[in-house]
Amino acid sequence: MGISELLEKYGDRYLQALLMTWRLTVISFSLALLIGIVITVLRVCPIKPLRGFGDFYVQIFRNIPGAALLILLVYALPYLKITLSYYACVLIATVLIPSSFCSEHLMSGMNTIDPGQIEAARALGLTFLQMIRRIVIPQALRSSVLPMTNLLVADMLTTSLASQVPLRPMELTGLVSYINTHATGGVMAFVISAALYCLTALVIGRAGSWIDRKVRIIR
Amino acid sequence: MKRTSIRDFLYEPPGPKTRRRTTAATTVAVVLLAILLFLIIRQFYISGQLSSRYWAFFGKLSTWRFLWEGLMTTVQAALTGSGISFILGFLLMRGKVRDGRILKAICTALIEFTRGVPTLLFIYFFFLVVPQTGWQLNAFWKITLPCAISACGVVAEALRSGVNAVPRGQTEAALSLGLGKTRLFYKIVFPQAVRYVIPSLIAELVIVLKDTTFAYIVSCADLMQNAKVLISNYDALLSIYLVVAVIYILINYALNRLSDVWAKKAERQNGAERTQA
Repeated sequence: MGISELLEKYGDRYLQALLMTWRLTVISFSLALLIGIVITVLRVCPIKPLRGFGDFYVQIFRNIPGAALLILLVYALPYLKITLSYYACVLIATVLIPSSFCSEHLMSGMNTIDPGQIEAARALGLTFLQMIRRIVIPQALRSSVLPMTNLLVADMLTTSLASQVPLRPMELTGLVSYINTHATGGVMAFVISAALYCLTALVIGRAGSWIDRKVRIIR
Repeated sequence: MKRTSIRDFLYEPPGPKTRRRTTAATTVAVVLLAILLFLIIRQFYISGQLSSRYWAFFGKLSTWRFLWEGLMTTVQAALTGSGISFILGFLLMRGKVRDGRILKAICTALIEFTRGVPTLLFIYFFFLVVPQTGWQLNAFWKITLPCAISACGVVAEALRSGVNAVPRGQTEAALSLGLGKTRLFYKIVFPQAVRYVIPSLIAELVIVLKDTTFAYIVSCADLMQNAKVLISNYDALLSIYLVVAVIYILINYALNRLSDVWAKKAERQNGAERTQA
């Protein structure tokens, strides 16, 4: 099929799929960022078991393959009498994995903070949580914009996991395999999806380096 | 003073009051985590997943041998895929730093393309489109090639950052000794660059290994696929997938540790060289 024929026949679906990919990406990245911050606070807090839990969480979800996690969520959880919708499973998988990487980036972002600042905060009488909220997290976020940008792109690529379950509406990867199993979409069907992915990644990359220029702390 | 991790200087040695409070909070945390663990085990228990028929076959050698065979295919696919992505990444990197403007543009575009497209799309491409062109690949290459292609852009960028990290003095010294451009690159710059980027290359190996889990799409008999066979043999889904997930996690964890250890060692060496100079 040529590109015009494809767009004529499946144009609406491509648009839907693009919106689905964007939706999954935005929702899962926001949640991943939130959970990543919480996990990071646990990992630096003075309570040892919580630190251990945070480290454990990160090691599990940083190292598990996305496919394995999704399969566990979709096919194994029902055996424990927990049945989630396909959408929920995809969302959980695309939150848990990036959240662990998010925490790793925040940890290395934190390591750029000068110990003097911590001492100053203590001298001013800030409590641990105040210090985390006002001194540590803001700087960790500001100095990890570029890794977070890459993480957002990686998260977008991870949402292609959704093609492994019958999710409706389909996202970009699912749509391509659908088109190619129902008709011979050929190379063009792939090129359209790939281009949409790449354009999104390009925009994210640009936005990321713009934000990085604005907020980076020059030391 | 040498700083190690933020964890070490966020608080000073606690006084008696803080110590009491920390002990109390620790107790509460331990109790909460124990309850969480209990709830998980309870869920396993009440749904009957702890029954021995789901776990007994892990005592058999044949189960492990079968999983081992799958694992070997996984490892082979991951290593081959990484090897190919290293070669492709190297070529892309060389193309990007060349003077030729067209070649540079093509390589930059290819790097961005492979970095911006999910591996699954490449896998479906090799699964659905490539056979239509008459190019018959077996299942192993149908999973290995897309994983390699999907990783090569990242490898190219990693290598490029490694080349940039080699001190300029090295290049200048080599040029003043009369080395040609090619020998300068292969004898002086590249070996050092690789040393810098080995941690990122190991990280990339982990990514390729994770991507090979999609081998079930092209029905290549990797760890995941063999797990599926075991599941239909023993009618035990949860336990087998759980064990397989743990195997993946352990391998990737070990690789990541290796990468960390290497990075630390390299940092120490660089520090030592600098103090000598």
